[in-house]
Amino acid sequence: MAETPKTFSTTLAPHIHSADSVAKRYWGQVAALMPLVLAACFFRRAEFLHALLLSLISAVAFEFFSAKLFEKKNKFYHGEAVLIALLTAVLMPSGCPASAIILANFLALVVAKEFFGGMGEYLFHPVLFARVFLQGGVPGLMAEPMVFYGNGWILAAIGLGGLLLLKQRRGYWEIPFLYLAVYSFSDLALGCRAGDPLGFFTGVLFTGFFLLVDPVTLPLTRKGTRWFVSGAALLGALLSPRGFSIVAAGSAILLMNLLTPWLDIWLRPIPHSSRKLLKEGRAQ
Amino acid sequence: MAASKSVGIRLERKKDASLLNWNLKKTYSPEKVRVPLRCGSRPCVRAGEHVQTGQKIAEPDRPEEVTVYAGIAGTVTEIASIPDPTGATITAVTVQGRAEPKSAPVVWEVRKGWEQISAGEFMMTCQHLGLVTTDLSSEPVHAKVKKNAAARTLIVNCCEPEPYITCEQVLLLSHPVEILKGAELLRKALGAEKILFAFEECNFEVGELIKSKIFFLKWDHAEARAVPALYPQGLEKLLLQNWFPGKEDQAVAFPASTVFAIYEAVAHQKPFYERIVTVGGECVVEPRSLWLPLGTSFRDALHACKGVMREPDKMVMNGPMAGIAQADMNVPVTAGTAAVLALPKEIVKEDPEEPCLRCNLCVDKCPVGISPVMITLAADHGEFGIAAISGAEACIECGNCGYVCPSKRPMLKKIRAAKEGLKTHRIRETAARHG
Ligand code: SF4
Ligand code: SF4
Repeated sequence: MAETPKTFSTTLAPHIHSADSVAKRYWGQVAALMPLVLAACFFRRAEFLHALLLSLISAVAFEFFSAKLFEKKNKFYHGEAVLIALLTAVLMPSGCPASAIILANFLALVVAKEFFGGMGEYLFHPVLFARVFLQGGVPGLMAEPMVFYGNGWILAAIGLGGLLLLKQRRGYWEIPFLYLAVYSFSDLALGCRAGDPLGFFTGVLFTGFFLLVDPVTLPLTRKGTRWFVSGAALLGALLSPRGFSIVAAGSAILLMNLLTPWLDIWLRPIPHSSRKLLKEGRAQ
Repeated sequence: MAASKSVGIRLERKKDASLLNWNLKKTYSPEKVRVPLRCGSRPCVRAGEHVQTGQKIAEPDRPEEVTVYAGIAGTVTEIASIPDPTGATITAVTVQGRAEPKSAPVVWEVRKGWEQISAGEFMMTCQHLGLVTTDLSSEPVHAKVKKNAAARTLIVNCCEPEPYITCEQVLLLSHPVEILKGAELLRKALGAEKILFAFEECNFEVGELIKSKIFFLKWDHAEARAVPALYPQGLEKLLLQNWFPGKEDQAVAFPASTVFAIYEAVAHQKPFYERIVTVGGECVVEPRSLWLPLGTSFRDALHACKGVMREPDKMVMNGPMAGIAQADMNVPVTAGTAAVLALPKEIVKEDPEEPCLRCNLCVDKCPVGISPVMITLAADHGEFGIAAISGAEACIECGNCGYVCPSKRPMLKKIRAAKEGLKTHRIRETAARHG
């Protein structure tokens, strides 16, 4: 029998934890983006590679400096900066100057993320915030993302990435499909303006799978998340008069981000024990 | 059953090790016990006095309290305050066992006509033989019966949703008929119409055994019902909430081991001085469920299972999800001790806390349907009103939210802070209202 120490750790329950972690979540999303990144490298070659490398370098640098500036521990190993860099690169238009890519990463990592409280605290989706802000600031410079053009392989890569995300079971599975359904339905109802169906589905699926998975800016219940996504899809369709537009979809998501605190309060869970009492109260 | 009612986590059960060898024939007899006295009972022995196994050592001061008995024969050496496994300070009577070879196990006399015992006699027996429920509440059985006089259904809880723990399962497999008879005694005392035996659906051998015994006894007022094998489904509060939504007062639940103790008390006049405990965890040489006299130290409990093969990082009373970590091994086994676990570092390692990702996992896995994330974020900011509307007071402290949280936030600590803050907030509000 081994000798046992006199005192043991007395932290509160639970004494065991799931294997899930923040780093696994972010790196999981990075992994799911890989098919798209590889497809983009293949089809857009030097142009996308250039944007990707620049985005990665600037994101890492901004992450490092903002950790210094805000006196926080540099948590590069979480993979959040890499994820932001990849998403930013994917959303950049063709012929976009290097300064715009660097600025986009600055806006995402320093302004939208750190100024709003850092990891877990920010209000707006950092990548969309940066992209929409840039579009507003330099409208002539920013067009639709260079990877969102009618290419079946790109669409397949997004689908494959989506499957990888679904397999990780870290978000609500219905979100991308709900987004796709509401967006398509709204678009049809508004007069079916999706000129290029391949481009349309590429944009909508990418948004549904990769831009609506950041839980920080989503509501705190499943029901709330469904409302959020439906609202974002409807607003996105309303704001883009000519098929899918990343800025319209992004602006719609940012607008819904503003509503998140209200959705959290409005749709907060009701304890099972008080549900019946509430029902009776209403019936009386 | 509605989906929302079966919320929980499919945990690794880790029960096989303690199911490998079980033999409930003999109670382990430690050299010393420190029998915890209940608040409201007064010792009736003095230091230096000799006591026998099953001898009364404390009497109740109040009608709702119970008598306390010694679990081993020996000499009373001390009556002093000691910490119990919940962290409270209690009075305990220390009995030092005799040095001579262990005597034969005590045989208790069968009471004549025990099956026809009246409700009044039942209550007296429970009180005088020291019966308390074998869960953390350790409520005197007669007081619980009295409090639940309106219950129409008796639930005998055979579920053990926490990993490692097998004591109820082992007891059921060894003494199914006794448990059924104990349940019948309890049903009659309660004046209830029906008995429901709750078992976990993955423990189908337990379910089948109960069903076959019900069939054999030709009872049409009893039924065995499966509970999803999801932690924490099977806890008393959830059984009542899920099976009798909004009518919780029409049913009452007792653990199967309490029902067995009732049978032994009524049929054999055996006082409640020992309980079945699972001694387990990866560090234990021979994990198993065994009978331990109340007051056995955790150290002796491990010794009864051949000790530990490596240093535990945590000693936990009851399960790893909602159990209480112990600072040392001297704490005594109490009526609420279902398990003594010695867990190694790799199992109980704690990662540093990260900011909340708002991933909603805690909300989706909360069995009572509240919002742990809103409660804890509100508690962090001192917003106790939001903690209240998010359901802080309905939390049953099952540990699910802390288990699933990818950010490894200490949820229970924060929820308790919210509950405390809420209490203070309410007291202040009331004081302000009354001038
Ligand atoms: S809030 Fe309470 S009841 Fe809900 S999962 Fe957390 S500990 Fe369990
Ligand atoms: S599980 Fe943890 S990280 Fe996720 S919402 Fe709950 S508290 Fe936040």
